[in-house]
Amino acid sequence: MKLEEKLVIDERFVFTTKAKNKVFTIIGLGLFLFALGMYMVMSGGGHHEDAHGAVQAAGHAAKGHHEAFNWMTRVWVNLWHNTVFFAGVSVMGVFIVAYNYVAYAGWSAGLIRVPMSFGSFLPYAFGIMLIVFFFGHHDLFHWTHDGLTDPNSPHYDRIIAGKSGFLNTPFYLIRMVIYFSLWIYINHLIRKNSFAEDINGTHTYWHKNTIVCTVFLIIFGVTSSMSAWDFVMSVDPHWFSTMFGWYVFASWHVSAIAAVTLIVVLLKERGYLTIVTENHLHDLGKFMFAFSIFWTYIWFSQFLLIFYAHIPEETVYFLDRMKNYGNHYTGIFYLNIFINFIFPFLVLMTRDAKRHMIILKIVSIAILFGHWLDFYLMLTPGTLKGHSGFGPLEIGTALVFLGVFIYVIANALSKAPLVAKNHPMLEESLHHNI
Amino acid sequence: MSATSGKFLVGIFDDEDVLLHSIPDIRNSGIKILEVFSPFPLHGLDEALGYERSKLDVAAFFFGLTGTLTALTMISYMMFFDWPMMIGGKSNFPLPDFIPVTFELTVLFCAYGMTITFFIISNLLPGVKPILFDKRCTDHKFVMAIDLSKNKMSEEEITSILKENGASEVNQKEF
Amino acid sequence: MHVTSPVREPLVLGNKSYHDVTQDIACRVEEKPTKLWFIAFGVSLVMLALGSASLFQTWRLGIGVWGLNKTVGWAWDITNFVWWVGIGHAGTLISAVLMLFRQKWRTGINRAAEAMTIFAVLCAGSFILMHMGRTWLAHWALPLPNTYGSLWVNFNSPLVWDVFAISTYLLVSLLFWYLGMVPDLATIRDRAVNPISKACYGFFSLGWTGSAKHWQRYEQVSLILAGLSTPLVLSVHTIVSMDFATSVIPGWHTTIFPPYFVAGAIFSGFAMVLTLMLVTRKVYKLEEYITMTHIESMNKIIILTGSIVGIAYITEFFIAWYSGVEYESYCFINRATGPYAWAYWAMMTCNVISPQLFWFKKIRTNLVATFVLSIIVNIGMWFERFVIIVSSLHRDYLPSSWAMFYPTMYDVGDYIFTFGLFFTLFFLFAKYLPVVNMAEVKAVLKSSTDKPNHNH
Repeated sequence: MKLEEKLVIDERFVFTTKAKNKVFTIIGLGLFLFALGMYMVMSGGGHHEDAHGAVQAAGHAAKGHHEAFNWMTRVWVNLWHNTVFFAGVSVMGVFIVAYNYVAYAGWSAGLIRVPMSFGSFLPYAFGIMLIVFFFGHHDLFHWTHDGLTDPNSPHYDRIIAGKSGFLNTPFYLIRMVIYFSLWIYINHLIRKNSFAEDINGTHTYWHKNTIVCTVFLIIFGVTSSMSAWDFVMSVDPHWFSTMFGWYVFASWHVSAIAAVTLIVVLLKERGYLTIVTENHLHDLGKFMFAFSIFWTYIWFSQFLLIFYAHIPEETVYFLDRMKNYGNHYTGIFYLNIFINFIFPFLVLMTRDAKRHMIILKIVSIAILFGHWLDFYLMLTPGTLKGHSGFGPLEIGTALVFLGVFIYVIANALSKAPLVAKNHPMLEESLHHNI
Repeated sequence: MSATSGKFLVGIFDDEDVLLHSIPDIRNSGIKILEVFSPFPLHGLDEALGYERSKLDVAAFFFGLTGTLTALTMISYMMFFDWPMMIGGKSNFPLPDFIPVTFELTVLFCAYGMTITFFIISNLLPGVKPILFDKRCTDHKFVMAIDLSKNKMSEEEITSILKENGASEVNQKEF
Repeated sequence: MHVTSPVREPLVLGNKSYHDVTQDIACRVEEKPTKLWFIAFGVSLVMLALGSASLFQTWRLGIGVWGLNKTVGWAWDITNFVWWVGIGHAGTLISAVLMLFRQKWRTGINRAAEAMTIFAVLCAGSFILMHMGRTWLAHWALPLPNTYGSLWVNFNSPLVWDVFAISTYLLVSLLFWYLGMVPDLATIRDRAVNPISKACYGFFSLGWTGSAKHWQRYEQVSLILAGLSTPLVLSVHTIVSMDFATSVIPGWHTTIFPPYFVAGAIFSGFAMVLTLMLVTRKVYKLEEYITMTHIESMNKIIILTGSIVGIAYITEFFIAWYSGVEYESYCFINRATGPYAWAYWAMMTCNVISPQLFWFKKIRTNLVATFVLSIIVNIGMWFERFVIIVSSLHRDYLPSSWAMFYPTMYDVGDYIFTFGLFFTLFFLFAKYLPVVNMAEVKAVLKSSTDKPNHNH
């Protein structure tokens, strides 16, 4: 038993050329669909979009807005949506590592390298976000437009002017730099300590990491909410919700749990991580189940309070997503609840379900898609109003990002041993039996 | 466990790991174990003894479902059919408002239904007299009861096998 | 196989055997009440008596004896209600949530924490009954068929949700606590010499013998109850928060209330568990079962939940400004600088600053500091509810309605009643029931003992 364990603990993921080619295929397909989607949007889309365009143009003219729909906005929104989603999953990988260290979790020691690889995508997310912001901010963020803060301008908006101390481009960018710098730096420290532990067997690095992780938790507690306000809530600059930061957090977090589960299952299918048994999978399943319910609780609390108090400035957010623009988003609104709550709740309820790789695979993919859709619903009504769509452009962009994300993570995984062999809790993980 | 009578052999173990390791050997030697008693739950004991998994979780699900349906039916009847009122400008059946009560009754029915079922099927009810093969099973000893009438082997054989497998004492018990 | 990492601290000290566990804990139940117990019990009875006198007058004369007025319709009554409910949450958290997270250290404290939950919820419930005024009509809060049409309760109201939530919470907590006690009651039954004791503990132990089949089902039921209690405890304080958040009052209507209230509840609950357990472990000589590791772990949870509450405060301020709604902004300015500013700053000091002291290991492993800080936290959490309720009500949208609230002796007296009730029940519990879950401690003994060379 001991000898076998020794062999199986010292393994390293090999990112084969075959696997790389598969990822390139995904990216390639994504680029093709993206181009096709762009072409379709440029040429005005279908009658569907035109009819909407006419109605919206009339509506907007009535309200005094002169901005006709700019097709490029949809491209920027897609890029922003995917960057925000994948950046969140990345940083949540670091968060998952952090709380496992701080809580002295034993069961996860054998698979902790998987979430530990997620932070590697952060620098890419940061770069893409800066570029998209630089070129797309006008289409994405109404508060970046000129004249909003000038009382003499015809575009003066008292509400946005009131928050311009926070919502102004320089401060926004400084905050973005701070979030990503802190996240990237601490992720780097955590990985450094963990890899040093592989070489130097003592518990010193584990203790160090416990402290680094605690610091990360404090920093993340604040930056996760603030980044949610910046990246997502500010696309609806007239709206606000104190819960929003924690709502985005919940969505990001369960997505990351699902990503960890999916990657663990995929690795196991390829012969890696034999030390991960159905007991560990069971725990990952429990996390997906529990945090899907937690997300639902946060979603419902926010919804119920706004529904109940019936204040128009607040309810417009949900009306846009449930009724407005000719029921444009209604289907997605209800689909969101179905995929992210009802489906995982019913499918993962039994003990057995959580111990079978195929079920965990299906549910984790559903959760990842479901929360990607959740972010779609958070970002598109405020930016695209009735002009959003779901076609090759959306699918293509998502595939490109997915491919790049997988590539970066797989690469990060291959750079270090797959199992933290000197982790002080590893024995507990190896004997995990529930 | 009800109406126990007859002669029994009672093996006393001091350590739960010794007990757990002994069970496959004891069962393989042909001895039919009536039951094992311990002061705290032992992980893996039910499997070792060949017990089927309890279906209380299924019962719990259905009790919970009953709670959900009861709540929704009750609220629908009261707020929609019997005396509909327009409150806060909302429709007669604002479902989001009814979720909290529905959730609470689901949990209540599930918890009580399942636990009372557990007590009833285990015959754990107020006033039931405990059938103790050895009083120390609720203190610090692990007690294995063997019904002699259900076993073909002789007392001496069983006693020696138990002792070989780590029992510190083997006593007789009659009810 | 018991595998415990060497970085973990042992949870049971003193080289205990299973019999030692039984002996150390059961002897407190079996021994005659000590002089100290009589004094403590006497004090709580005095509080209960004085409080009952106040309560009787409140009931007889009506809730006009409180300091409430048209503007400030809720003050001490609801502050105290939320305060007690919040405290109650720690028990369920320790029993249920820590069970799901497989934190073994919960076994030393979960019995007492669960008992505390039940007593705290009873105290909270007493305020609900009190604040109705016509307490004899309390059944009107239930959807019972009646001769008024039938006039049903308004299921749209968070106050009705509260009725269901608090009742369910009380009943399920009671069930979980009782279920957990059955094996221990059997232990005491089997040691009992006095025939009355034997009969009483025998009756309530349901004939438990610790058979493998029963343990199998028991574990299954416990796990499901833990899985149910976790969303239940979240839902209860969420629903309590919705008493405020569903309104349109600035300072009340804010979407973050549900999880923020839950975090605050856990924060105050753990503080109360610490207050009680630090004394109990000393008096009952249970330092080897409720060790410094237990205390430190609880203190860490206090940092965590206290920080979450702090982040929620920051979020509320920020969004109040960000929203551009002047009523929202005024609410927070008034809290910090208005006539109740003293309460606000008490809250901030106690809730935000004091738990941060636990970052220092010297402080979080110091018994006196922990005890003092645990009380400070609860004082802070009382002020938090007071600030939320009174400061938001006394100055909302219409300045001509602005008014002040001042408590009367009946506000104070009725609060003392609940302290009397709580401690009377707690001391009865501590005397007649085992304060530590013997069976669960035994279950973690092998893996968490300080016996040398026992593990790995």
